[in-house]
Amino acid sequence: MIEIRFHGRGGQGAVLASELLAQAAFLDGKSPQSFPFFGVERRGAPVTAYTRIDDRPVRLRTSIPNPDVVVVLDPGLLGTTRVTDGIRPHGLLLVNTPKSSEELEAPDGVRRAAVDATKIALSHGLGTPMMPIVNTAVLGALARATGVVSLEALSRAIEQFVPRSPVENRLAARDGYTTVRTVEVGALLSPLPVGAPVPRPSGEGPIAVVPSETIHTAAWRTFTPKIHLERCTKCNFCWKFCPDDAIEFDPQGFPRIRLAYCKGCGICAAECPPKTIEMLETLA
Amino acid sequence: MAKLTIPSQELMYSGHAACPGCGGALAMRLLLKGLGPRTIVSLPACCWTVIGTPYPTTALRVGILDNPFEATGASISGLRAAADVLGMKDVNIVGFAGDGGTADIGLQALSGMLERRTNAIYVMYDNEAYMNTGIQRSGETPWGAWTTTTPVSGDLHGKPEPKKDMMGIVLAHRPAYAATLNPAYPEDFDRKVERARDIVGPRFLHIFAPCPPGWKFDSSETIALGRLATDTGVFPLYEVVDGRLAITRKTGALKPVEEYLHAQGRFHHFTPEDVAKIQAQVRESWDRLVQREREDLSRPH
Ligand SMILES: Cc1ncc(C[n+]2csc(CCOP(=O)(O)OP(=O)(O)O)c2C)c(N)n1
Ligand code: SF4
Ligand code: SF4
Ligand code: SF4
Ligand SMILES: [Mg+2]
Repeated sequence: MIEIRFHGRGGQGAVLASELLAQAAFLDGKSPQSFPFFGVERRGAPVTAYTRIDDRPVRLRTSIPNPDVVVVLDPGLLGTTRVTDGIRPHGLLLVNTPKSSEELEAPDGVRRAAVDATKIALSHGLGTPMMPIVNTAVLGALARATGVVSLEALSRAIEQFVPRSPVENRLAARDGYTTVRTVEVGALLSPLPVGAPVPRPSGEGPIAVVPSETIHTAAWRTFTPKIHLERCTKCNFCWKFCPDDAIEFDPQGFPRIRLAYCKGCGICAAECPPKTIEMLETLA
Repeated sequence: MAKLTIPSQELMYSGHAACPGCGGALAMRLLLKGLGPRTIVSLPACCWTVIGTPYPTTALRVGILDNPFEATGASISGLRAAADVLGMKDVNIVGFAGDGGTADIGLQALSGMLERRTNAIYVMYDNEAYMNTGIQRSGETPWGAWTTTTPVSGDLHGKPEPKKDMMGIVLAHRPAYAATLNPAYPEDFDRKVERARDIVGPRFLHIFAPCPPGWKFDSSETIALGRLATDTGVFPLYEVVDGRLAITRKTGALKPVEEYLHAQGRFHHFTPEDVAKIQAQVRESWDRLVQREREDLSRPH
């Protein structure tokens, strides 16, 4: 099975690219799967989509943390998104960029490929200079660099499933196919040996362990409680009712506000029986 | 320091992301005080996932399992089975879900968990709407309340349907324990949590959780409003152990519901007739509660 992860921005056609690739693989007689990541779907927001291709039906239903191939439709994402997270050793990084493949950064052992899909798209009138539709040119490059689908199947998939400008999109795919720059063009990916360690995505892993106390919420408040201790009866009501656990006791047992966390809700002042807590306009 | 009337342990961290004065945040704080550190909390999509789990932070000193919106009941059945297999018999398995996640989309998972007699505690913190997504009505939104999906203008008069009786639905499953809790009464709250903790079988806690932005009142009034809810009879406090109901807070005479309604912007459009209608309903359900308590008391053990 080959697992491919697409990174793009809303509006560039990353989701359609993952679907077209799956359609092409199907026309080649394979069993593909394709779906987008469920996230923010605003224009311009980072978008992720996935395609799996196998000779047998694909039963996995998860996202792709360890892709064989990472496809980047927008070179601007390289600075903001860790696109190669989890990529397999001997995998392939394919980027839409005018740069050469040698200039791309990728983990050791990962092949790099570059295609100027923006230039190709614009030469065929696909999209606008602000928002070129680069997906078909990138798919042509992907077909050549990996061999996971044939150019012929890709062209037929474009004809059948691309709603607008199918002819131009087919030409863009062809141009991507012929101009992609990589070291071993057309080489099939070497499958990962069974039992080989799979690299984890960087970061802390799936379990969140940082206490929220590292976040100070003092800036939230517009009023700050001040306790006039001379009238305090140490009844603990203020402590009991604070939703932010922002009240502690000093060694004498008097309540003390933990100012880093108090959000200034005013509950302590409202609930203090002798009314000895005053809410003052905040000057931090 | 005077003697504390509730446990001193704090298992909820500060620095969480709840709005100032959030009743749901106080509910979690009080709940964990009573349950203690040997607890795993399963959280579905709701305000609390945003309050407590922005990656990589956590607002709880106990384990959290993030699960899908509708899956709380199923998730705690699974957690309990896993804990049992691992020999972790002393762990409290707790589902902590909103009213939308409980009374609407999660209802069948809750029913399944109760019917399977999962040995776990299911908590519904009830802020009476889908707050996390911007105040949409839920099955637990009361009649007439304004929400963004039950607007007030022209012929539209807030939510046309009454609040769903979740305690009734749960009691029909004969849970080992079920109770209503209100953070405005922390001692009663804590006693019920500790009681639930020590009972084996499916347990259900319905927690009243005032929401300042959603109900439109000042954040300083969360506790005062909570007290009004109980003292007017809108949210009576009671518990049901083995099918026997006992009211845990009785006031000589109920306060007029008007005091509770007028304290919140979501009821500002209420006419005197609306108030009278609510008053009659509250009176009737209170009388039914008292009647049920009397019957249960006279029933032989
Ligand atoms: C299946 C599904 N539908 C919708 C959502 C979006 N969603 C997240 S939280 C939420 C509202 C939760 O309301 P409630 O359970 O009452 O909890 P509250 O936010 O009020 O605390 C919704 C609709 C989702 N996460 N999953
Ligand atoms: S103002 Fe609110 S958050 Fe601050 S200490 Fe008082 S109760 Fe806690
Ligand atoms: S509520 Fe008021 S009197 Fe009671 S401990 Fe707090 S400050 Fe003191
Ligand atoms: S919207 Fe309401 S329930 Fe949600 S965090 Fe804010 S106060 Fe709490
Ligand atoms: Mg809710």
